[in-house]
Amino acid sequence: MSAKIEGRGLCKTYVSARTGDEVEALRNVSFRIMPNEFVSIVGPSGCGKSTLLSLVAGFATPTSGEVLVDGSAVAGPDPRRGVIFQEYALFPWRTVLGNVEFGPMARGASFDERQALARRYIEMVGLTSFEGRYPHELSGGMRQRCALARLLANEPEVWLMDEPLAAVDLQTRNILQDELLRLWGDGGDPALRRAVMFVTHGIDEAVYLSDRVIVLGRRPGQIKEVVAIDLPRPRRALRNSAETGRYIDHIWSLIRDEAAQAIVEEAH
Amino acid sequence: MSETQLRWLPLPVFGSVLLLWELAVRQSGQLSLYPYPGGVVEAAIRTVGDGSLLAATSGSLYRVLLGFVIGGLLGIPLGLLMGLLRPVNRALSPIVDSLRSIAPIAWIPMALLWLGIRGNAALFIVSYAAFFPFVVNTVQAVRLIDRTLINAARALGASRMLVLRAIILPSSLPVILTGARISLAFAWGSIIAAELAMGIKVTAGGSGAVGLGQLMVSTLYIRRDVNGLVLYMIVIGLISLMIDLVMRRLQRNLTPWR
Repeated sequence: MSAKIEGRGLCKTYVSARTGDEVEALRNVSFRIMPNEFVSIVGPSGCGKSTLLSLVAGFATPTSGEVLVDGSAVAGPDPRRGVIFQEYALFPWRTVLGNVEFGPMARGASFDERQALARRYIEMVGLTSFEGRYPHELSGGMRQRCALARLLANEPEVWLMDEPLAAVDLQTRNILQDELLRLWGDGGDPALRRAVMFVTHGIDEAVYLSDRVIVLGRRPGQIKEVVAIDLPRPRRALRNSAETGRYIDHIWSLIRDEAAQAIVEEAH
Repeated sequence: MSETQLRWLPLPVFGSVLLLWELAVRQSGQLSLYPYPGGVVEAAIRTVGDGSLLAATSGSLYRVLLGFVIGGLLGIPLGLLMGLLRPVNRALSPIVDSLRSIAPIAWIPMALLWLGIRGNAALFIVSYAAFFPFVVNTVQAVRLIDRTLINAARALGASRMLVLRAIILPSSLPVILTGARISLAFAWGSIIAAELAMGIKVTAGGSGAVGLGQLMVSTLYIRRDVNGLVLYMIVIGLISLMIDLVMRRLQRNLTPWR
């Protein structure tokens, strides 16, 4: 089977806006994500995991190497690759409905079409009674649901998620993880699932959600190990299981030292 | 002192000041040199009655609003271009900054020379005054746009035009509206100066382009009515207040997400 997303020898060096120094964010990163596969990227802060995602999204271009989606090179953002951002990136001047219908509108759907589409996905994430609210009137968890509905309304083939649950509290996070799995099709037909690239610093979250976890090391970011999570789906019953714990321990042992070092270095 | 007493305290104080003022001027016997409250009320009754106050006020306001619109129509697009395109910003910001530091009223003599006293000179001054706050605030507004929102829109399939219309414009609107408030305040401040400078000949010639400034000049030199002058000063102040109030309300209504 051919990969949905493929990174080939990706390198990214940029000039830091703060210090003016050249920063090597990624060095020779190659990976493949299959069409129905949920893959997480974990690593200590400063490992370039968000940079990697922005290369796949098409927001930035690699210094060398290339990203292929369905075999053709990524040249810029594309609605077939939906993105969820760390701080949700909802449009503050649009209501929930206005945010969710933005994608269909941008792609030329008629007024009735896009309203119907938006309402369907708003209902799917449980925000129907809030469709007239502005983002600043929503809780963190509701904003994230709105961002999910906005992504789904565009019916993208690939979901790119950049630490989507980092800004909500722990309980909300657990609930949203389960909702994400449900929307992705965790319990259903694998053929209906989308390719997901999920960037997180939560190892437990990565293990719980993913088919495979790509572990990045830092300075420069490069792949340390790709861990296949051989756990059955649906995952719901496995949140605190011993098998899950073993995967978490293993991945943590890979990045613990660098994570500790990152704390010290970020102080400078 | 109770809350209620504290609340109404300014009233008797204000009343006493007016009374003392009235008595002092009457005592001096110089009623044509010093204005006094009773005279101001008389002037108000007279100028409202003959329609001259309303005509002058609306004349000034009309030119201010026209200048404000001209300033915005030129200033916002220029600000957008400068904010979005670095070369344009680099090329034009020295010129904009130099011109902006010249007080609008310093252009009055030149404007009179080029545009005459029929009202276009005042319109020029007002547009000039309104233009720069629009430019500066629009540039700033564009600079403050969250890049992530632009990326989000592009990842949802938005074209460049849609990004401009649906992301860049609404996202800049709050700061542009702040600029608009400053613009209108500036414009109102400079119209009086411009009209004062060109005033009397227009009035004497019977032209229609009469504003509060011109009315002040004729009141000073022809009628010698000091009470009228104070009345116009009060009207000018009230309109400033009103402008600020209206603009704040507009800002709130146009940007409900703030």
